[in-house]
Amino acid sequence: MVNPLISDRDVDFLLYEVFDAPALCSLPAFADHGRPTFDLVLQNSRRFAREVLFPTYKAMDAEPPRLENGRIVLHPLWHKIYPQLVALDVIAASRPYAAGGQQLPLLVTTLASTYLMAGNLNAAGLVGLTAGAAHLIEEFGSDALKQDFMARMYRGEWTGTMALTEPQAGSSLADLKTRATPTGEGHYRIKGSKIFISAGDHNLTDNIVHMTLARIDGAPAGIKGISLFAVPTRRWQGSTLVDNDVAVAGMIHKIGWRGGPSLALEFGERDDCHGWLVGEPGRGLSCMFQMMNEARIMVGANGVSTASVAYHQAVLYARERLQGRPPSVKADASRPPVPIIEHADVRRMLLRQKAIVDGGLALLAVTALQRDLAGHSTTQHERHRAGLLLDLLTPITKTFPAERGFEANALSLQVHGGYGYSSEFLPEAWLRDQKLNSIHEGTTGIQGLDLLGRKAVADGGAALSILTEEIEQAVQKASAAGVFPAACTRLREAMARIAELTMQLAQKGLAGDVEGMLLHSADYLELLSIVVVSWLWLQQATVATQQLGQDQGDADSYQGKLCAAQYWLATELPRVSHLIDLCRSGEDSYARMQPAWF
Amino acid sequence: MKILVTAKRIPDPGQKIKLKGNALDLSAANWQLNQFDEYAVEAALRLTEDGAAPATRQGAVTVASLGPADVQQQLRSALAMGADKAIRVEAKDEELDAVIVAKTLEKLVRRDQPDLVLMGKLAADNEGNDVGQRLAALLGWPQATFACSIQVVDGGKALLVGREVDNGVEIKKVRLPAVVTVDLRIIAPQAVKNGRTAANFAYPEGPRYASLKGIRAAKDKPIEALTLSGLGVSTALQVKTHGSELPPARQAGKKIASVHELVEKLRSEAKVL
Ligand SMILES: Cc1cc2nc3c(=O)[nH]c(=O)nc-3n(C[C@H](O)[C@H](O)[C@H](O)COP(=O)(O)OP(=O)(O)OC[C@H]3O[C@@H](n4cnc5c(N)ncnc54)[C@H](O)[C@@H]3O)c2cc1C
Repeated sequence: MVNPLISDRDVDFLLYEVFDAPALCSLPAFADHGRPTFDLVLQNSRRFAREVLFPTYKAMDAEPPRLENGRIVLHPLWHKIYPQLVALDVIAASRPYAAGGQQLPLLVTTLASTYLMAGNLNAAGLVGLTAGAAHLIEEFGSDALKQDFMARMYRGEWTGTMALTEPQAGSSLADLKTRATPTGEGHYRIKGSKIFISAGDHNLTDNIVHMTLARIDGAPAGIKGISLFAVPTRRWQGSTLVDNDVAVAGMIHKIGWRGGPSLALEFGERDDCHGWLVGEPGRGLSCMFQMMNEARIMVGANGVSTASVAYHQAVLYARERLQGRPPSVKADASRPPVPIIEHADVRRMLLRQKAIVDGGLALLAVTALQRDLAGHSTTQHERHRAGLLLDLLTPITKTFPAERGFEANALSLQVHGGYGYSSEFLPEAWLRDQKLNSIHEGTTGIQGLDLLGRKAVADGGAALSILTEEIEQAVQKASAAGVFPAACTRLREAMARIAELTMQLAQKGLAGDVEGMLLHSADYLELLSIVVVSWLWLQQATVATQQLGQDQGDADSYQGKLCAAQYWLATELPRVSHLIDLCRSGEDSYARMQPAWF
Repeated sequence: MKILVTAKRIPDPGQKIKLKGNALDLSAANWQLNQFDEYAVEAALRLTEDGAAPATRQGAVTVASLGPADVQQQLRSALAMGADKAIRVEAKDEELDAVIVAKTLEKLVRRDQPDLVLMGKLAADNEGNDVGQRLAALLGWPQATFACSIQVVDGGKALLVGREVDNGVEIKKVRLPAVVTVDLRIIAPQAVKNGRTAANFAYPEGPRYASLKGIRAAKDKPIEALTLSGLGVSTALQVKTHGSELPPARQAGKKIASVHELVEKLRSEAKVL
């Protein structure tokens, strides 16, 4: 058996049984499409990921890019897969026809992209970055920039980056120093140092467009002084491309995502780096948030994909590896050893991975669906509602797959025993890859602050109320189907207590104790993540129960869903109440701990 | 060049086989295009295009299948790869045998008069490997089976076909119109030479993946629906399936201490000596 990367059955289950993707085709934006098209899109991703991308993964992990004469040279396999990836038209898959895209729902393209990520995350990452960068120009750029840059990026002729981070400005972008000096000729001169810029240089395409945050001379300190620029590695001089003074200052030697380059870049060493303003001056960070939010969901997708490919590998391994005998006949060495999947503790490790992977995939689907609805629903009310829910879910969709995915990846390694600890087997590579997801696009710490400090309390807690409504609906459906009654009660109670807790914390903040309000933001993020994933497991369990009742489809897969749901709801949901207590109590050990005491 | 490609849907060969009684249970099967037919589609596209981007085409590729309405999805998949139109002849999988399929294709060929019929060498579900040969005989056309290379020669009037045979590759020249069935290597980067594509041009290995543009375009390409009775094909089955069973489970192996013991076991247990 070969690794499927992502289970087709699970994706079809989410798209067609849980979230009804074809229903999106009643919206004018998606009227052209239907299930036959979705199925072809998925079929393509599946096959391309399995046949072309996955076979390149290990070689690219083993041989990272090299910095030669100031330029990055990629693994030769990149030159084989990149043109094919471009030929699939995936870069602009969800963008409108007018922008050169295929106007597909994100619900479908996001799940389709998980196959590519699970197959080779570096290749999929380059596509994602390019799409996000081009989308910024599509949304905020001038017509000239759209023609010059965006169109080429959507066609894959050029690629894109996001150039935010600087050595002194990582989590705190407010401190960034790169400068932009107006020239009076329509462009700015850019000068500054960026670090960790993924795909910041390579030898795949003629040009790279860096979406760069910088301060226009004289701009105020802090966030309000930041503007967004499109800064190409090469710029047009007449009809030829000339060097635009973007130099590679160094390459980061990474423990994961080793197939692609992350670089220190120096803009304007020779004072000859031209950049073009995108959006209004001083609005750079708020424009960039479009790309960051997309990127955060992409990070979540990556977390799920990286956990999924490792989970499937663990299942394959556990079916084949013979070791030991069941406890009942342990002493009897004449009995043949059994595949380790026969041992309850191995099945525990596998089921925990499944609960995280399938839960994460459902989280990704529901988030992508909100993006489709927020962008394309026909009423303002529906768009607004989906937008609020999307805002609330984004830090969770970014973080849950990263943090729990890391746990799942560690379990996949564990299932492999000593072989898992060897680099001849892939689980260790995926574990290294997964770790990045809790760091880039805002660390887990930053996501917690964003969730509790902004998303949960915005508009008087409007987003939480919407989530409560959604959960209530799911609970009612589950109760009607007789699915996990105890969990239904627990989930309802948890939401009521979370509303109360959030109010209490918000009041603390309003009273001036912001530190106290945010002290347990990491716990808050965790507990809300558990609740959201429990909600999604309840929905999946309800559908699986109904399908089994009607003797529909693949019974094995529904039984698997029910066991994973049961596992999650029995082991994780009860923890919510404890975490709520912790947040309420204001437990202050680390608040009191002085730096000198460590 | 006008090419007719035949296409059969088969259950995903990677899926676990299920039985209901002594019949195959295909209710939860994932249907897909028979891989060799997909290679035939790829070969047909390579024969009609010039390899440049954007590619210009000369000729037309029609894909035909016999099967239930669901087969449209596999036909769309071929259309998304770039075929121009499709034909579906309504039929249930279990009501078809190689004779009916070959006779149906004969009717289509006589009606549409393609220059070439390209087919997979076999369908990977039952591995029949006889429809192409039957069709050539019914039509009285030359045939070349197991093609691993195709080259257009004589100003488009004939093909040089490399055939995979037991002791190597046999090169055969066939006049058009002809029936050619393709083998695995036909999808090698330079296996198809149409005389227009630059001699050094190399395709990526394998059948192409449809682009999203191709997928969207496929939605609007015609799929003609026909029936066996409309085509005047007799539906009497000549091959009937009496039952299906799984191969017996393999016995666990045994470790043997000595050659002596091995010989002993071969004699007494395996009874081969
Ligand atoms: C492989 C890789 C690829 C990357 N790609 C890109 C890219 O393409 N473009 C780009 O612009 N950037 C990129 N980054 C940078 C990445 O976004 C930053 O590393 C990240 O935002 C964290 O910044 P930092 O590394 O400076 O860590 P720091 O900000 O120094 O954080 C260190 C620790 O302190 C915590 N912390 C910091 N501030 C706070 C606070 N206010 N409250 C609580 N805790 C806090 C953090 O959670 C973290 O645990 C990439 C990074 C890596 C490793």
